[in-house]
Amino acid sequence: MKPSAVEVRSYQVGFGDCFLLSFVYPKKTRRHVLIDFGTTALPRRGSKPVNQADHMERIATDIAQVSGGQLTAVVATHRHADHISGFATTAKGGGSGRIIADCKPKLVLQPWTEDPKAARDARKATADSSRSRRSFVSGLNAMHRVAHAVCKIGTAPPRSMPVSIAKELAFLGMDNIKNESAVKNLIAMGARRGATAVWAHHGSTSGLSRLLPGVRVHVLGPPDLTQSEKIRRMRSSDPHEFWQLMAGPKALRGMGIARRSAGGKGRVPAEARWFQQRLATMTSEQLLEIVRVLDDEMNNTSLILLFEVGSKKLLFPGDAQLENWSWALEEAPDATRTQKLLAKVDLYKVGHHGSRNATPKQMLWDRFLKRGGPGARRMKSLLSTLPGKHGNTLKKTEVPRRTLREALDQQTDLVDTQKLSMAAKAPLCHVVTIPV
Amino acid sequence: MSVIAQDPSIRRADGSILMARLDVPAEELSAGPIGYRVHVVDYDSSSGHYLGAHRLPECFEDEPAAWQAGRASIVDDRRFRAQNVYALVMKTLSRFEFALGRRVGWSFGVHQLKVAPDGMLDANAFYSPRDEGLVFGYFPDAGGRPVHTCLSHDIVVHETTHALLDALRERYLDPSGPDQAAFHEGFADVIALLSVFAQVELVRELLRRDRSAVQGGRFIRYRDVSARALRQSALFGLAEQMGSELQDVRGQALRRSAELEPDPGWLKDPEFAEPHRRGEILVAAVMNGFIEAWTSRLRAAETPGQSSHPLLRVAEEGSDIAKALIKMWIRALDYMPPVHLTFGDALSAVLTADLEAWPDDERFGLRDHLRTSFRRYGIRPASERADGIWGRAPLDLRYERVRFESMRTDKDEVFRFLWDNRKALDIKEGAYTEVLSVRPCLRVGLDGFTLRETVAEFYQVARLTPSELRAKGILLPPAYTALLRAEQRAGGIRRAKTLRGGAAPNEGDVPADPESDPVTPVYGGAVLIFDEYGKLKYRVHNDVFGSRQSERLRYLFEVGQLRAGERGAQVVGARLSALHRQRSIDARRFPQQGW
Repeated sequence: MKPSAVEVRSYQVGFGDCFLLSFVYPKKTRRHVLIDFGTTALPRRGSKPVNQADHMERIATDIAQVSGGQLTAVVATHRHADHISGFATTAKGGGSGRIIADCKPKLVLQPWTEDPKAARDARKATADSSRSRRSFVSGLNAMHRVAHAVCKIGTAPPRSMPVSIAKELAFLGMDNIKNESAVKNLIAMGARRGATAVWAHHGSTSGLSRLLPGVRVHVLGPPDLTQSEKIRRMRSSDPHEFWQLMAGPKALRGMGIARRSAGGKGRVPAEARWFQQRLATMTSEQLLEIVRVLDDEMNNTSLILLFEVGSKKLLFPGDAQLENWSWALEEAPDATRTQKLLAKVDLYKVGHHGSRNATPKQMLWDRFLKRGGPGARRMKSLLSTLPGKHGNTLKKTEVPRRTLREALDQQTDLVDTQKLSMAAKAPLCHVVTIPV
Repeated sequence: MSVIAQDPSIRRADGSILMARLDVPAEELSAGPIGYRVHVVDYDSSSGHYLGAHRLPECFEDEPAAWQAGRASIVDDRRFRAQNVYALVMKTLSRFEFALGRRVGWSFGVHQLKVAPDGMLDANAFYSPRDEGLVFGYFPDAGGRPVHTCLSHDIVVHETTHALLDALRERYLDPSGPDQAAFHEGFADVIALLSVFAQVELVRELLRRDRSAVQGGRFIRYRDVSARALRQSALFGLAEQMGSELQDVRGQALRRSAELEPDPGWLKDPEFAEPHRRGEILVAAVMNGFIEAWTSRLRAAETPGQSSHPLLRVAEEGSDIAKALIKMWIRALDYMPPVHLTFGDALSAVLTADLEAWPDDERFGLRDHLRTSFRRYGIRPASERADGIWGRAPLDLRYERVRFESMRTDKDEVFRFLWDNRKALDIKEGAYTEVLSVRPCLRVGLDGFTLRETVAEFYQVARLTPSELRAKGILLPPAYTALLRAEQRAGGIRRAKTLRGGAAPNEGDVPADPESDPVTPVYGGAVLIFDEYGKLKYRVHNDVFGSRQSERLRYLFEVGQLRAGERGAQVVGARLSALHRQRSIDARRFPQQGW
């Protein structure tokens, strides 16, 4: 049994990702895979803000309807809110997450870092080597605590903090806050009777090929620690150690969350005030720098999935950044084979909402063979994004990055969620059909 | 003044913190402490608390007993932390001034360097020229106890050295080749580590650690001071004992100098292409030269029939050699080119400067040891002479129109000298030239006589279009030229669109304008050393249109520091705070992969 086509639905989730892949088999049977379901910011409806929970519930209902109430698999590429917030349930157990769970996915696929076993080990990992799996995962968990603090700072910043930094902190903080309900729901869906949970890394099996006859699914990322550690023979230190440093309770207090009651000795003397101001600005900048590093680290735990359907190739890299890509494309033992596979990609889900560091220019983009002028063979690209939320135009870090978007527009059939209206009766998604 | 010898994790046998006593320039401090060159501001910006202006004890004898004894409580004593950081900054400054024989001003032109000993919650410490200060962070260790970076000897000296190097060579933070970026880190580490080894107390304590080697607590066997043994006991031993929480802040240069086997291949290894890793090669070359000099000095002192040295003697030799090396490397700065430094330039500079100030190298043989050690790590002197010393400057120069006294202090006078001799000195026309500094210095030589020198730096910059560069024989990376063209065109279209009120322009609306061809800057310059008669002795030169420029531009483009913009090149520098962060997370760069 082989699929004759794949339909890809790209939903309007603002700054977030939500894709439904429907594999069309003979006799009109279909199998559906949901890749990510989250948002951190939605476009406005006219001048009014849109309620996120309501909007996500509408999308969940649509997904249930399209899939006939049965999902073959759910994929959560990584733990950021803009990829999983839709899996959350309400306090009473309802909401968009409930609707998805009721579609009884047979498989829940996540990166290895989400394996609850790894997390349980991680809690006692403080005295462990900084390079172990456990402390890596505990570092990821620490990120959530940092995110809480950062979010609060961002929304009620001290006077000394520039507004632009506060806004970015709030946004990054929001994205990194642990979405307890969504995480639990994903675990529950995988633990359901008759369902399997798979935590994958580069080169491991996804479990999808078994459920989707005629489809091969390659897991290209993220690398496992034992894999990525080999990149450097003499690695000097480990990034994850400093997450732990940042995440102690004192750290949060120091970040201005719980101010120490005693300890201050009045006003800074006049001759030191200029430096006091500078110090405050530096502190804000340093904090933002740290949060960006942590945010990237989480992005790098993204699953990179390549679906091979007949001769067609569909690439879904989540928010993978350069470090994750470089393993798959340059350093892994099978990198040459991966390069060859990816050269022929027919549909590319643009990494990390079109940011500048998630579509490697030379390693990936330049090697896509099906870029070019309009034509039937030309590759398609899916961009799910919302401008004005992330990065800075002057520093050329805006998301989506202008130059990348121009290249996508000129050299691929670009399908962009920005073009989907938020009007109440407008369609919720683009549908792209790839005949096999 | 009492300071912590290295950091609070290095303890004596009785559990107290190992302390050291430092001499610093005498001065009457205000509360802060505020002195004539340093202004300590104990403001914690993360909590928003001002922690007070501290009054330090007036002299060593007035210090609380706990400070001198190294009791554990001093870690939490803000006044002590202020003293520790003040003393180490001043000590480092005075080492520079002593070695150079002149005052060294900060790069930002004001007298006092601001220092925040507990400036923010962050596992980082850095020098920020824009903010005219040093910031030391603090952070909780695994047990939640605060770790203060300002209590680490090597970290404080490292940051101060960044500030002083920036003051002496203001262009070394600019993008250049791989070596120059690495040099700031490497040099700061070299001075910091040697400054730690300059303390007899600490060296003795390190050697004493290996009980089997020490006899009766006062002697150490000959075979335990071999190069291999000293690498193990001193370098590796110190790296092992330094506070491990601080590993991310200080990097791994010391450990690496004990572990990194000499191999000329390291310089070409992509792993050592990142500036924060490349500096480790420089550190390893210097520290291994230090060990070799130390062990051969001890070998020379062996007595037939005996089998051990007095421990104190061994420690003192080590400390003396460390001090001599500090002086040597600081002096070398005067002999380094003002722009585009390479490790080979640094080696030639240190050999030349030392030869000038200290012609007799019999005692420690430091020049030979450095030459050998650097060669083993693949670093050859940039000078073409066999001994690696810079060649003498051309002698047929005109001096009759400049005034001797002014030439020692006045930038305009030195510029006139350059102008009068521009042909002989190979100063290229078609580039903007500026004298950056003129510094008179006075040193006491081995013979007891004073050595007078004047050090002047000038730099040149030319901003040229791709075709003008080609005419000079400088090639731009083709991918960069293509980007320049694309950016220029895209910019033209955007501009035309804006002028037309948002409507898309026609083909003809975007004229090709050769006058507005985008330009890319190339830099060059030289350092001039005048002797006591005002005659030019050395000229260490980097040609603004020289043959190394093509390679440099290619490197800058490849690492993402040279970017194409609408009106020409955008050269992006790195901040030290960011560089330190990259070091602490061992970041990798993928410059050609971004958009």
